[in-house]
Amino acid sequence: MDGGRPVYSLKTKIIRVFLWLFLFLVAALTAFPVIYIIFGSFKKNTELLVGGTNIFPKEWIVENYVKAWESANFAVYTRNSVVFSLGVMVGSIINGSLAGFVFSRSKLKFAKIVFYTILAFMFISVGSVTLKPVFALAVALKMNKSILYLILISVGGGQATYIFLCKGFCDSLPRELDEAAKIDGCSFFKTYVKVIFPLMKPVIGTVALMSFRGGWNSYLLPLVFTMSNKNLRPLTVGVNMLKSAGDGAAAWDIMFAGSVIAIVPMVLVYIAFNKYFVGGMTAGAVKG
Amino acid sequence: MKNKEKPVNANLPKKKKKLNKEGSAALFMLIPCVLFLVVCSIYPIVWTFQWIPYNYDGTRSFYIGWGNIETLFKDKAFWGSVGVTLEYAFWKIVLVIPFSLLITILLQQKLRLSNFFRGVYFMPTIIASAISGMIFTFIFATKNGILNAALIAIGLVPQESPIKWLMSADWVMVAVMTLSVWGGFGNYMLYFTAGMAAIDTEMYEAAKIDGANGVQIFFRITIPMLSPTLKIVLQLALLSAFRDYEAIMILSQGGPQNRSMTMFLYNYYMIFGNSEAGTSAQVGYGAVCSIMAAIIVGAVTAIYLVASRKLDDVV
Repeated sequence: MDGGRPVYSLKTKIIRVFLWLFLFLVAALTAFPVIYIIFGSFKKNTELLVGGTNIFPKEWIVENYVKAWESANFAVYTRNSVVFSLGVMVGSIINGSLAGFVFSRSKLKFAKIVFYTILAFMFISVGSVTLKPVFALAVALKMNKSILYLILISVGGGQATYIFLCKGFCDSLPRELDEAAKIDGCSFFKTYVKVIFPLMKPVIGTVALMSFRGGWNSYLLPLVFTMSNKNLRPLTVGVNMLKSAGDGAAAWDIMFAGSVIAIVPMVLVYIAFNKYFVGGMTAGAVKG
Repeated sequence: MKNKEKPVNANLPKKKKKLNKEGSAALFMLIPCVLFLVVCSIYPIVWTFQWIPYNYDGTRSFYIGWGNIETLFKDKAFWGSVGVTLEYAFWKIVLVIPFSLLITILLQQKLRLSNFFRGVYFMPTIIASAISGMIFTFIFATKNGILNAALIAIGLVPQESPIKWLMSADWVMVAVMTLSVWGGFGNYMLYFTAGMAAIDTEMYEAAKIDGANGVQIFFRITIPMLSPTLKIVLQLALLSAFRDYEAIMILSQGGPQNRSMTMFLYNYYMIFGNSEAGTSAQVGYGAVCSIMAAIIVGAVTAIYLVASRKLDDVV
């Protein structure tokens, strides 16, 4: 591939310049909302409320972040978001890889029944109604103020995709590995822990990123659970609550800063794991 | 003979015991997954069906028999939301799929910064729809939104009557679709890129040697070879079009006059109430609406699957 750039005719060159300009324009439009909100978060609230076409602030200030962090409870929201999304990630990895391994290897009839039930429920979407009974259950168990319950429900709600990814990957691992482990005296569970789990690294990377993103970005579930419990809210809910706080129009500065706090960590994770992310997503798409 | 039989007999119970051990280990390992399935999938469905004949506002409930189902068939707002959902799904597919396919093909031309562009295009999909809904609320704001400011600055819109993007029934779907395309095309671009990578490059070379031009190559090779991917992508886009109501909820709350009220959003407001519109929860009726919504989604998916199979026979 390193054979240098191909030589193009003048006509092709002009076409390619126009193509490039088009792609650049699309990229600029795509990035615009994010750029706008980031620069906007350094504007004074008066400037935000007047509007105008300025992207850069007239006067750069960081008070919005200080206000959001200290008086608008964003320190707590950020901590909740981090705990929640890491919890969802760990739970999804453990549950997905365990179940994926069993569905791939076990000849148990019960396992097959469970697998096809999960498959069937993937096609039933009743929407947000599921949140109500799940919340009622939490109240009955006196767990409606526990972030652990929120994490578990989130893991359960998203488990199908991750189980399918893990099962698909396990199916591609040679069964001779299991047999060799068995001969060496490994039990079924030990085979999973010592042999298969370490080999599942690529798919676990994908599951980790997807579930972390899912946790960080989820909104309705934490919204329903934290209606009356401000200290459990993650960033997505915290930012949007400012809007309906009555003086919504006045709090644009905090909402801008809060949105940036909610976006930036995820964008950094994405930039750091970009290749892994894109590779994993497409692998899942081609298989699924 | 006797000598041979003995070890077989001795082996049998041992083997069975081993299988049992493995089986019980497998059962044990499935406990979390089964619990999740019961609590997060089966129990909510059972719960939903249980409220069909009740008028339930979240605290008190009355038995009303067929009442909710009768209401459903007379509820213009619900069927209106079904119409909005289908309209939304139609525009989403018509706008997003060709656009992301075009972008994928342009990126294949190995232009400078292609990978950087791909990264930027995918970025909106990693942002929470709750947050992007909020950002677009700022952008589309009537008085101090930057979009109106820009349109006024270049003279497309008169200063005294800026476009009420989110407050007028004529424009709200434009705003909703803009957000939908912005947030979705990167995802489909990625699926198409994966599908394209699976096409044998020798095919393109052979076609070029035979004298095919770019348009011919696109319609005669790329599209047919991409059709399996296209089918999956269409199905995913269709399903996601029904499901992405989070961003709409924040952008326009389904308004004005229910113009952007999609089916699942309507159901959400039925079940949890809409504090901004001042309506309280009607859980029993919301359950009926949700079941109807599930049936509609299932029917549309089934129609799509049958149609795509029929299309397979033709092409």
